[in-house]
Amino acid sequence: MSVRTTLPLGFADLEPFVEQWAGATVDARMYARASADMAGIRRFYEVAVARGAEALEYCAQFPLDAMPDDAALLFRLMLGLAQASIAVEIHGQPRAPGTPWPNSITLQRGPSPFG
Amino acid sequence: MAQDATGAAATNFTRGIGLHTKPVPLEPYRSASFFAAERDRVFARAWLMLARVEELPAPGDYVVKSIPTNGVSVILSHAKDGRIRGFYNSCSHRGSEVVAGPRGNAARFTCPYHSWTYANDGRLVGIPDEPSFFAVDKANCGLTPIATETWEGWIFVNLQRRPEVSLAMFLGPFAVHLAGLKYQAASTPVVLTADLDANWKVVMDAFVETYHIPVIHPKTIGTTFSSKMNPFARLLDARKLGIHQAVSMYGNPEYVANPDNRVEALAYSAAATGSVIAAATTEGARAFLEHPSVNPTGSGTWSMDVNHLFPHTHIDCGPGGFWTHQFWPTSPNTCRYEVRFYVPQAQNVYERFQQELYVGRVAEIVLEDLNNVARTQRGIDTGGKDFMQIQDSEIGIRHTMEQLMKWVDADTVAEAMA
Repeated sequence: MSVRTTLPLGFADLEPFVEQWAGATVDARMYARASADMAGIRRFYEVAVARGAEALEYCAQFPLDAMPDDAALLFRLMLGLAQASIAVEIHGQPRAPGTPWPNSITLQRGPSPFG
Repeated sequence: MAQDATGAAATNFTRGIGLHTKPVPLEPYRSASFFAAERDRVFARAWLMLARVEELPAPGDYVVKSIPTNGVSVILSHAKDGRIRGFYNSCSHRGSEVVAGPRGNAARFTCPYHSWTYANDGRLVGIPDEPSFFAVDKANCGLTPIATETWEGWIFVNLQRRPEVSLAMFLGPFAVHLAGLKYQAASTPVVLTADLDANWKVVMDAFVETYHIPVIHPKTIGTTFSSKMNPFARLLDARKLGIHQAVSMYGNPEYVANPDNRVEALAYSAAATGSVIAAATTEGARAFLEHPSVNPTGSGTWSMDVNHLFPHTHIDCGPGGFWTHQFWPTSPNTCRYEVRFYVPQAQNVYERFQQELYVGRVAEIVLEDLNNVARTQRGIDTGGKDFMQIQDSEIGIRHTMEQLMKWVDADTVAEAMA
């Protein structure tokens, strides 16, 4: 049986979204949102936003730069939720209306950690 | 101040600083010969900001930077004596690029081609199989220096072998305007780059006026920059700083986070916020905000200032700190764009979560602009229009064009700056 990092106990309902939304860098999470379809973004958003307060509270127990692996993965998923919210709460579509995809914008360096 | 038919206060920036009010030519936005003149007479003669000292804080630190307009790769090196020097990234042997970059720490640089070796102060210290050469004058075969000077943490280079003017003379009143500013979070920039299908001035112009914001960015930042009192987002202030300039932009005091935005509410549940441009607030931010040239009119309806450093750099200040834009010409209708948002190191998960939202929004704003500038360039390239009609709050565009024309025409830098 393969052992891989999963989410902390009690957040199993978010597990199906990890692969797509918990990217390691801002650029990866932004790419996940920009290249996703709106129905998929909404599915993730609805489930994750309902657990958002609880998840952030769980992660806040640890220092930002020294989280256990499972908490770090949960936090990266929450950062993915921040990206998803840009589609749901601002545009009503994955990217700003009428803008090109793919495009030449590259995030060379994001905020740390998980940048 | 008197109001006019739009309900906003009337402005008098353009005549106030003595600029003409005629239409502004479009040929410089599409002409190959004007592009060549900008490259050779502006970018090859002006002081160009390349880095901040926080990028190479320790002796031995170096960064490799590009001046894409002139095809120059620059090594900026912090040697033991504490000086930061600039060098052309080219070997004395057969010209090869010496350092790959983008950054590192090294006492010596070794060319990857034949291992010629240089100290990080530029001296040539090693030639493999030296006896086979013909009395190489090693003292004159170091890395070729580029004039490099630092002002308040900003590192500038000048491609003239002997710059006609010092950095202090070049900056002039700009240095006075921002003297002593306490840059916050200067070691932790978020860096975004894009290669854009537009003349560099098309892109730069979009960042020096807010007239377009309610139209191009209605959902991302439109309501931050305009309101019923100032529906067209007229400027608060504009001043000429020699060849440089500063404009101060209106901000909507009524903007509040939309409570229906559940993720935004999660991020800001504990903190009050005025503008989505503000990524974080800290104690140090207070000293920054108290600088007389940050929100220079002391307006209660302020969003940000653009400090335009001629020819192609903006140092912007807002409630949450500072950020820079650079617009490098690469052809008559393409440019390299780089934005650096200096955001504080997050102290907890909530701050980091806010930053993710902030960076995500910023990238969307850039994306909206990217689309807009390509459309603008296509329109300009039709050749149907020879002039732009420029209004009072677009003064930055008019001022920069006036300066560029002088630099392109002038045979000496002193004449260009007169």
